[in-house]
Formats: sequence, structure tokens, C-alpha cells
Amino acid sequence: MPIEFTLNRQPVAAPDDKADMPLLWFLREDLRLKGTKFGCGIGQCGACTVLANGSVVRSCLMRLTDAKGLSIVTIEGLARDEQHLHPVQQAWIETDVPQCGYCQGGQILSAVALLERTPHPSDADIDAAMTNICRCGSYVRIRKAVKAAALRSKTTQL
Amino acid sequence: MRPPATATHLDRRSFLKASLSAAGALLISIPLPPRSSLAARTAGASSAWCVYLTLHPDNTAELMSPVMEMGQFMRTTGPMILADEMDLDWSRVTVTKDEPVRMIRNDTGEVAYEFGQSSAGGSQTVRNNWDYMRRAGATVRRMLLEEAAARWQVPADTLIARDSFVIDPNGDRRLSYGELAAKAASRQVQPEQIELKQRADYRIMGKDAGVVDIRDIVMGRPLFAIDEDYPNALQAVIERAPALHAEIASYNKDAALAIPGVRHIIELPRKVEDHWPGGDAQVLAAGIAVLADSLWAAMQGRKALQAQWKNATTDDSTQQIQEFHRLVAGNGVANKLVDDGDVDAAFATADLVLDHTYEKPLFAHACMEPHNCIADVRSDSATVIAGHQVPHWIAREVELIAGIDALKVKVIGKRMGGGFGRRSELDFIREAVTLSHRIKGPVKVTWTREDEIQRDFFDAAAVMRVRAAIKDKRIVGWQHRQAQTRGRPEASDYFPAKVVSNYRVEQFAATSNIPCGPWRAPTQLQWAFATESMLDELAHATGQDPLAFRLQWLQPYREYEIKNWAAKSIHSGRMAKCYEAAARLADWKRPRPKGTGLGIAGHFTFGTYAACVLEVSVGDTDELKILRAWGAIDCGFAINPNHIRSQMEGGFVDGLNAALFNDVQVSAGRVVNDNFNTLRWMRLREAPMSIEVEIVDSGYDPTGVGEPPLAPAGAALANAIFAACGKRVRRMPIAASFKI
Repeated sequence: MPIEFTLNRQPVAAPDDKADMPLLWFLREDLRLKGTKFGCGIGQCGACTVLANGSVVRSCLMRLTDAKGLSIVTIEGLARDEQHLHPVQQAWIETDVPQCGYCQGGQILSAVALLERTPHPSDADIDAAMTNICRCGSYVRIRKAVKAAALRSKTTQL
Repeated sequence: MRPPATATHLDRRSFLKASLSAAGALLISIPLPPRSSLAARTAGASSAWCVYLTLHPDNTAELMSPVMEMGQFMRTTGPMILADEMDLDWSRVTVTKDEPVRMIRNDTGEVAYEFGQSSAGGSQTVRNNWDYMRRAGATVRRMLLEEAAARWQVPADTLIARDSFVIDPNGDRRLSYGELAAKAASRQVQPEQIELKQRADYRIMGKDAGVVDIRDIVMGRPLFAIDEDYPNALQAVIERAPALHAEIASYNKDAALAIPGVRHIIELPRKVEDHWPGGDAQVLAAGIAVLADSLWAAMQGRKALQAQWKNATTDDSTQQIQEFHRLVAGNGVANKLVDDGDVDAAFATADLVLDHTYEKPLFAHACMEPHNCIADVRSDSATVIAGHQVPHWIAREVELIAGIDALKVKVIGKRMGGGFGRRSELDFIREAVTLSHRIKGPVKVTWTREDEIQRDFFDAAAVMRVRAAIKDKRIVGWQHRQAQTRGRPEASDYFPAKVVSNYRVEQFAATSNIPCGPWRAPTQLQWAFATESMLDELAHATGQDPLAFRLQWLQPYREYEIKNWAAKSIHSGRMAKCYEAAARLADWKRPRPKGTGLGIAGHFTFGTYAACVLEVSVGDTDELKILRAWGAIDCGFAINPNHIRSQMEGGFVDGLNAALFNDVQVSAGRVVNDNFNTLRWMRLREAPMSIEVEIVDSGYDPTGVGEPPLAPAGAALANAIFAACGKRVRRMPIAASFKI
């Protein structure tokens, strides 16, 4: 029985002999979707963050079999198309957040999940939700961008 | 303060190489004469510089950055310099994604960059490319002006270049660079007609620009070497000796080969060589490589090896730090590296002597992108794809390992997921090249996070005993006595050398086997921690405000000749202005609530001055909270203020992380804390809520910003904690003494 789930709004079927493979490696190596990054392999750093039914998941810890039936969104699937970036992506551009850029896909998805749940987060909400490591230390701009995205979403449909 | 004269001398040998592409685009490469001796030394004496520029008929321009990106923003800053001198419309500029590294052999047969300095490190890339990029841009602008002048039959000097067009102000007409490019290519421009723009005329530089790759980043497009797929490459992971110097004892080859997809098991020998900052070090661990059809299969094969090891060293980082304390506290003779004035006399006649000892542990790099490298070594050529700070070394390594002429090695530089000095090491390159050479096919090596931290080249642990002498409330003598994990004793004038006239530095030779290497602003954070903590202690001991004490001490404001990392002089007035500006932003004199305090610290290195003020609160039971920060930087002319602020923010956070948390422990030759569950790393909630930055424009030529902002963070934190609660912290990691 193939493992079936939805990935970036498209159906995906993975062979069941890969049941124990982490979703991260299935995305990166089998599907060649490289936006989901390998950082630590133990769910600490958040570089591999994806959304599963709208919630944040560390894809390095999610076995493929556990993705069955879920709707997974990776950073590649966040924007509808080149012309319609997600408000969080737009806020990231506006705030010019990235330095090396490696962690930012995961940061953006964490912010998306936060704002879905809490459209107008307090600083404490941001502190609690944004647990991904940015090795370059872009945290001040990440906080700014989350707030900018919250303002944007007042006028833009998320 | 009078800025030094800008080097605008144009060499007669300046010329362009221009050609037409099949699509009608103008391709220009611009070799220029040799650069300064310093840059030539680090680059391996390159003889020419080059930038690649393509002007398309649709009036867009494509530039190749001279230096690859690792988060230091050079892919934005470098092209900005050229585009401004060329009067390009910045919105029509794109930057090529990959950077093939062009190489030659220099006069002594060493591999060197054919054009310019493509290495990233030492906060040098702006310094080294400033004149070159401007001259290149001005030359191309002149060619375009002359071509337009010829078409309109008017003198070139009556025309102006603006936003990718040449405009005739008298004739109400204009021609796009795209239209002019093809013919302009054949124009010979006289060097004396090439004029650099005045700063007042800059239209791109001096204004905020965003990351050129930002859309690709936020959309998750593949930009990094780890994202690269290479046709038919086998995926390799390597089980390396977990402890220093260990050799293979046994492993289960059959079990690994039994994993579906596993193709080869290859032993890799240990390698020891002289390594910065001095002495023999293990630069490559003994390892067992598992090569497989997929990365997942290789990882399973690695687990199946069940490798056992023997003959490890007994290095213990805690014991070594204890030994450093014994050394600096004792009377043993250390290497005297600097001995200015009469230090003994200054201490003998002092009113007050403070004598304190400061400690820092081993720092890990933890580049966010784990190391990786693709190598395809053929019989007489090779391709290597990697993110590396010193890409021409890769070709040299291929030659050494596989016997292939380095100039037949194609090196593709990719964006780096962090560098911090670690990506100037060659271990992951050597592994991939060795394996590809062995199997005669392409290989991609991928490290795990544990591999990366276990096999790091750390920032050395150090214990620093600082004695300072005060007479009439002024500093009259300073002695810095240090022992550290590794480090060849070399004289270097760290701030405040020369500013204090009776100044001595003593350093013990190192005996540890723990490998060390360049770590963002090597050794600067520890020096600033010791120096700026001591300055604070002196201020408090003499009843003076820490800011006022520093400002008074730095007078008279003047330039001192020094030998410091890429700097020949330090100006105490520029340092003072940074302290003042950071303090002004922080509203330094405003009283804070009980338990809240401000700490100030500054540092000078790589030609740049940075100071910061940090606000923290400390609770009754030592709960530490980082609140806000303010910083000021004097890096000469601010090419891109946005990214200078960004480096100040990120560098300061990196420094705070190092001071609070970065603490690698080695026991029985083996790293104990090798991932983010045991090696704590700063998250957003622990970072300052805001960091406000002022850029102090002193009018000097631009200097680098990648490293200087980091250095003052540790001392600013220690000083803020003292201001908040009266406890003096002299030991990093600071989180060990507080609840955070």
C-alpha cells in the first residue's frame, strides 16, 4: 500500500518500503524539493520545518508513514505562484530578513502557522512560537517581519 | 578628523576585454593592475582583477559578484559599487547565481585567482574590491558615453549617464546602455578620461538595498551546495573517529554492504598537518565512508558499520582550562609578544592596581548548512561544487590528491549556509575528492550536525589575566597574560594597545590536541571580553561613569600606528564617537528600574570600530533577561546602510550567543555536546527585542562589517549584568551563572 498524502495541494504516493524514512529526506532526495533544509536531524533547529494540516512539523522527525493522509505544505508551496507571494513572504522581503538565508524557509513557515492561529501575536506569542535557530542572528528582523505580516494580513487574505 | 586621500590613481594599463554574445549581449571583463601587497598576499599574488558584466539589448545588466555569499551581503554590496559607478538602474541589475572560480598559476607556480580576490574572510572583501569595482564601473561608463557621443556627433563630456541610459541634456534625447553596448565594446578609453564619481553623486551606494537573492530565498529555491544534484553521483556519509586522533579498530563491512543501495565501503586515513593558529593538528579524522545510491541508504549503512576505535587522545577541555588558570596565575615565563613603554615602573608607582582573570570556553561554528561537497574527479579533469570561503584552495587540493592539474579543475562556488571561518577548512572537500578519485565517479559527501560539531576547528578556549594600573584616575599600565587551547604566539596590537603607552602581552604556548581554526573575528571576542570588562571594573573602582571614563581615557583623540588584523592604525577619536553614539541611542544617563542595567563595550578590528550598549534585567534569583541593544559602527563610507545595520544586529546576536551559550566540552578526546539538544544555541526569545544602530560616517574609505560587530557583545553583557545587579561575571558561558 503506497503512503498517500497531499503535498503543496497535489496528491503524492510514496512507496511503503520508505515508511520509516523521515519526510525531510523524502522531500529533498526523492522529490528533489530542496527548500526544506537539513539542519540538525533531531528536531531542534527547525530548518526542516513544514506545515502539516496547518501546524508546524519538524520534517526530520516525521516518519513518512506518519504523513499519511495529511496535507503537507513546504516553502515551495506557500506562494500560489510567482506573482502571488504569501503575506509572510512579502513581509520577509519588505523587512529584508535573511543573511545566509539557509534557515529562512523554516522561519517563514513557523510564522505562517503562528499567524494562522494568532493573527495579531504579542511579543510573548512570537517568543513562544518562533523557536527555529537562525545562526546568523536575524532574530530582530524576524520579529519585525512577523509583526509586519500581521499588519498585512489585516488587509490581505491569508 | 580628516579622511585619508582616496586612492583614485588610474593605471595606464587599464583596459577592457569586450565581446559580443550570440544573443547580442555585451560581455565585458575588466582586468586591472595588481592590488595592494596585503591583498596580493592573501590571494596568492594575483596579477589582475576582473569583473564580469553582461549588458543585454533589453537594457538589463547581469553581474557576477566578485565574492560568494555567506550572509555577509557581498553579493549585494559588490555589484552595488560597480553599478553606481556605471550609473546602472539598480532595478535592471541581476546577479548570476553560481560563481565559477577562474584560476591561474602565479610566478611561483601556485594556484591563484585569475582575477582579483574571491576569498571571503577577514572582513576584507569590501576593502579589497572598493577601488577595483569603482574603476571598472567608471571605465564602462566612459565607453558608453563615448559611443553615444560618436552617434550624436557631440563631445562626450556634454553627455550624462543616468539609470542605464546616456542622456543628451541639450538635445532631449537618450540611448539605452543596451542599445550602445555592442558598439561601445570596441572603444578604447583613455585612462585619463576615466573619472570616479564623487560621493555626493552616488545614486545606489549610500542608500538601503535589499538582498539580491531575496525572492529565491523566501520561495525556497535551491541556492546552496547541499541542494545540488549531480548526475550519477553516489551519496556518501562518513563514520569518523569520534575522538581525536583515534584509528579504526573494527567495523562490520558486510552488514553495511547488506543495506540495499550501499555500493562501496572505503576507509579514509587520518591526516595531521600544521594548521592555523599554529602547530600540528588533526585536520582529517580517520573515517569509514559509506557510498550508496541514496543518502538515506548511506545513512543506514553507516549505522550498520558498528565501528570501533582505538588510540584516542585523552584531551579534556575542562582540565585544560584549569591548567590555563594555573599558568596565568603562576610565575612561569611566557612569550612576551608586546612590551611597550615601562610596564613594571607603571605598576610600581600606581595608585590602584586591578588584577582579574577572564575565561572563555571552546566555541563551535555550527554553520546552519552542514558541510557537503560534490566532486567528480576524472582522469585529467575534475569538477567540484561546494560552498567555500577560499575556493581556489579546492583546485589545489584536487591536484594534491588526484594529480590533476589544478587549472583543469572546475570549481563552482555556491551560496554558503553560513561560513564563520569554518568554510575555509578543507576537510569536507578532501573527503569528497578522495572518494571520487577512488571510485572514479562522482560523489556527494554530506555531513550531519553531529559530524560538524565533533569535527569542528574550534575557537580556542582561553584564560586571560589582565592587570591594570591607575594613577590619578587614569590608566597608566596594562598587562595581558594568556593561555589558550592552541595558538602560535604572534604579536598583534589588539585594542587598546598603543592607547595605553605602558602595555605588555604575554602568551603561553599551547599543548592541546584539540584543533582550532578561524571563527568569526578570531580571538576578538575574548580580547574585547577581557579588555572591556576590565575597563568597566576600573571605572567602577575609581567611582567614574563607565562611558565618561572611556571617553576621557581615549583623549587626546589621535591616530596610533599599530599592527592589527589588516589595520595599520587606530584612531581613538573614531572609537570614542562610536561609544558616544551607542550611548546616545540608549539614553545612557536615564535611570533604569531596579534590577535593570546598561553595559557598554566597544572594539576595533579589521579597520572598523564598533560599540554597543546592552540593556538587561537580573531578578532576585538570578533570572537574566536580555532586553534591548543599541550599537554604533564606523566602517568608513556606508555603501549599503541596510546591510551594515543587519550585520550589526546579527553580529551582536552571534556574540551574545557565544558569550551566553557557546561552550563545547571535550572529554577523553571526544566532543560531549555535539548537537543543539546539548549545545545550547540562542533562540529568538533570548535575543534582544530590538537593536537600534547608528552608522558613524567619518568620511574614510569603507571597511568590512562581517566581524567587528560581534566582538563587544560578551563584555557589553557582563557589564550590563554588573550594572543591573552588582555581580561581576568573568567567565563565559555566562548562562552557566544565571537563569536564562
